[in-house]
Amino acid sequence: MSATAGVGIEVADLPLRRRRGHIVRTVLRSPAGAIAVGTLALLVLASLLAPLIAPYGFDEIRVGRPFEAISGAHLAGTDEVGRDLFSRLLYGGRLSLGIAAAATALAMVLGVIWAGIGAMRGGIADDVAMRGADTLMAIPVMLFAMLLVGAVGRSIVGMIAVLGVLHAPFVARVVRAAVLGELHREYCTAARGFGASRTRVFVAEVLPNITPVLGVQAAVTAASVILTEASLGFVGLGVRPPQASWGTLVHDGYTHLYQSFAYVAIPGLLIFVTIWALNVLSDQVEVALRARGASDE
Amino acid sequence: MASTAGVGMAPGAEAPGARRRASLHPLARMVARRVVTSAGILLLASIVIFFGLHLLPGDPTFARLGVSVGADPAQLAALRAELGLDRSLVVQYLDWLGGALRFDLGASYFSQQPTWELISGRLEPTLELAGLSLVLALLIAVPVAMFSALRPGAAADRAFTLGASAGIALPPFWVGIMLISLVAVRWGLLPSRGFTSFADDPVDNLRHMILPVATMSIAVAAPIVRFLRASLIEALATDYARAARGKGLSDGEIVRRYALRNATVPTLNVVGTIVGSMLGGVVVVEYAFGIPGIGSLGVDAITMRDYAVAQGVVLTAAVAFVLVTLIVDLLSLVIDPRLRAGGLR
Repeated sequence: MSATAGVGIEVADLPLRRRRGHIVRTVLRSPAGAIAVGTLALLVLASLLAPLIAPYGFDEIRVGRPFEAISGAHLAGTDEVGRDLFSRLLYGGRLSLGIAAAATALAMVLGVIWAGIGAMRGGIADDVAMRGADTLMAIPVMLFAMLLVGAVGRSIVGMIAVLGVLHAPFVARVVRAAVLGELHREYCTAARGFGASRTRVFVAEVLPNITPVLGVQAAVTAASVILTEASLGFVGLGVRPPQASWGTLVHDGYTHLYQSFAYVAIPGLLIFVTIWALNVLSDQVEVALRARGASDE
Repeated sequence: MASTAGVGMAPGAEAPGARRRASLHPLARMVARRVVTSAGILLLASIVIFFGLHLLPGDPTFARLGVSVGADPAQLAALRAELGLDRSLVVQYLDWLGGALRFDLGASYFSQQPTWELISGRLEPTLELAGLSLVLALLIAVPVAMFSALRPGAAADRAFTLGASAGIALPPFWVGIMLISLVAVRWGLLPSRGFTSFADDPVDNLRHMILPVATMSIAVAAPIVRFLRASLIEALATDYARAARGKGLSDGEIVRRYALRNATVPTLNVVGTIVGSMLGGVVVVEYAFGIPGIGSLGVDAITMRDYAVAQGVVLTAAVAFVLVTLIVDLLSLVIDPRLRAGGLR
């Protein structure tokens, strides 16, 4: 404990860019952080390279008999119409992770703007922004997402928009707190003193200083988006067939529970592992941050 | 959380009665302020739900009429008039809100049954599932967190911490399916789906509830273990813990007598926020186990584009969440005198 705090004192004096590098290194050096980053990298890479790795197309039927067990020819078995599940999982990862990445990016952008306007203007603007966030947060995300995705008709763009917007207030809450924590520091006062506008202080001074917080929040948001998207897919409100995300694969596997165990088990396992890796990653960044933060006082 | 929410809402909301309220007991004033804030949030939430749904593209009347749409605009217009969809959105909203205050959420577009009747008929399984899961989760989480916090770094603590971290990441629907395929399908020990009312057959009711409740309680217990363990460890490092140790108390006694009591209010607040995600978990768990609760009602209504029922379900969920948050807030005031004292200044 005291050792990490000692490191922090030196770190606090480092220029911003090197401090950020320090956090990245700390995370990668911890076993848990390294495993989490490695797992996520593997999943993302496998999804990106799906067309190269996948032995069959995602909608290629009758490449085997229906419900074949796991074998060398079909690494995850086959589904009810003899499609190769390994290939479908790879392409499903593209959709699950792609939707998650896009929705998270949208939530972060909206949340940062939302929090920025409130925190920088203060007063009524802040009240309105936060009351709006409280209101959206009072509606359970999964249920509201079901309603809206059902209404827009299960399109990929629609899902990204709905998931992004519904997660934005959670981002806004956290970012606002971080921004308010920075605003009273000397460098912000100095920047205002030099005549920088509110927007400039926010974009050029505050945001770069809260990147670790933003990183943690992005990982937390991505985990929640993945769970919500998978849950939507599971209850039959996911992407339309023949495309499939991990969540809709769980749904399809669930309807054939008596024929095949791997069909439903593997996509769920991938969802679980992805969420776990994201959670571990955000925890490790926070641990590294705390080691740094302890020195700031 | 909601106490910060009160800051902005209160001045505007309380302005008319401010002079009269000044004579009220301070505690009554704090309670009143929280109730008013919650009501305000709910009002805004109803606006967001209604307009969020109705401003999106997609016409519920198409679904009701089936494939013969577009062929007959007159028929479409007649149906829209019948459902009240030809009026302006603001009028429709006010009508909906006015009804909602009297438990009248309109009639299902399909079965014509009153929405509130459909919802209240499905409350029992959902409340039983949520209630039992919460109780079971607390019964597991509190002892585990205490056990862990007293031996930080020990093998058992590390195992529990790892378990909690995994439990937070486990998708409830997947846990449910895994339990169904092992316990119900492979071993045939318990029914895989369905629900029997407790009043009809208590034993069968519980047999149907075991797997869903086990599924939900993992999702609820894991974050509580994690949070409570951290706050107990923090409490054991405080000055009052050191003083208690000085007069000869063991760490176990310090946790039981002081640390646990101090951790109650923060943990209560965490439980309050977990209830929000629990409502999402209830949907998938009910769907996985074929339990006819609010969650399955919502899924069915949304799949059929029965907007009257669907938005009623979402509003009910929001009301439940806001009520739980309010109860947690008020309980915190009752439990922790410091919160009450804070309001006096």
